[in-house]
Amino acid sequence: MGELLVQFAVAFAATVAFAVLVNAPPREFACAGVTGAVGWLVYCLCLRGGMTAAFAALLAALALAFVSRVFSVARQCPATVFLISGIFALVPGAGVYYMAYYFIQGDNAAAFAKGFEALQVAIALAVGIVLVMALPGRLFGIFSPRPRGGKR
Amino acid sequence: MEKRRRVLELCVDAGETLLANGAEIYRAQQTMELIARSYGAEHFNAYVLTNGLIASIRLEGADEHAAVRNTPRVDMNLGRISAVNALSREIVAGTVTVEAAFARLAVIRAMRGFPGWMMALASAVAAACFSFLLGGSVLDALTALAPGFAVGLFTCRLARTRAPLNKLVSNMLSAGVVALVSVVCVQLHGMAGLSCDLDKVIIGGIVSLMPGIALTNGIRDVANCDYLSGTIRAIDAVLVAAGIALGVGIVLRAASLVPGVYL
Repeated sequence: MGELLVQFAVAFAATVAFAVLVNAPPREFACAGVTGAVGWLVYCLCLRGGMTAAFAALLAALALAFVSRVFSVARQCPATVFLISGIFALVPGAGVYYMAYYFIQGDNAAAFAKGFEALQVAIALAVGIVLVMALPGRLFGIFSPRPRGGKR
Repeated sequence: MEKRRRVLELCVDAGETLLANGAEIYRAQQTMELIARSYGAEHFNAYVLTNGLIASIRLEGADEHAAVRNTPRVDMNLGRISAVNALSREIVAGTVTVEAAFARLAVIRAMRGFPGWMMALASAVAAACFSFLLGGSVLDALTALAPGFAVGLFTCRLARTRAPLNKLVSNMLSAGVVALVSVVCVQLHGMAGLSCDLDKVIIGGIVSLMPGIALTNGIRDVANCDYLSGTIRAIDAVLVAAGIALGVGIVLRAASLVPGVYL
């Protein structure tokens, strides 16, 4: 439990750092951080539950996109702000690295396996985001600070 | 006559601002249509791509006017996107005149991003955090601060050059900087008798280069049926990832040839 808290806190800090890198508005930093941390936590828990990286990424992307949409309505700010800051933690950077690493080691089979896994994760993220973005905006109206919901 | 031209200009300027700061196609298109409709355009058509837009307008039954904008370079700035979004809401609510909207848009376009040192610092923090998240030790994470900071400075400097390098080359160079600084740091640790995981340090360093934006926006473009723009962004994402892999690979290969360096 304590370890998960540490993971959550570090993922929060990482996402805030990414938010700076993409020039997100400073008043949304905290919400962006929570979005990224939730995505990472789901990913972590799924991996520990024995799921494959791609399936874990799918569930994490679902959670991430859902939280982004909730914040976008609650904060009257485009969902992109939270989504882009939060997604960085899930983009398969390690996969790309290991692909390059095995390639220079001359182990082409391992390089392709890692590259393919990175591609799978990217596609899983895509599917997760698309599914949540397709949900009708009315569902999120309850999170609106004003009685009438605004546009996404 | 004059009003029509001003409304069209406002629409394409808003659309251009969104595109140039990394918004999705759908957002640029929808924002332009909303603004045009709010100012009474009967016919407004816009065609938006990742690197440019075309729009035409017809107001009060007169001739049609058209405008084109080209946005070859995208510099990610979510602050400007959300500011344009807020402005478009107010325009839709009918509280802003055309000229006031122009003034607001000018302010938004003049909004500055974070300074270079802050970017470098953020890149360092991101590298350290990510190195830790991927199972690195605290020492790995602290070591990753160095390549993260170096690459942050390097990309800021690259962005400021007058003749921008192509994406493949610039990402290759940036990833090379990460790998080089990481290898040097890990070797120095080795000499001091500390053991440090090179993988975790490099992965932390390259994470801020990863094409997360291209991936996310590409997905959303495809989901909104902007297939062409989505494809452009997907190619972008693959190129960036390939550049990173090449840069890291070349440096690691070169380092492995240096006697006394153990990867």
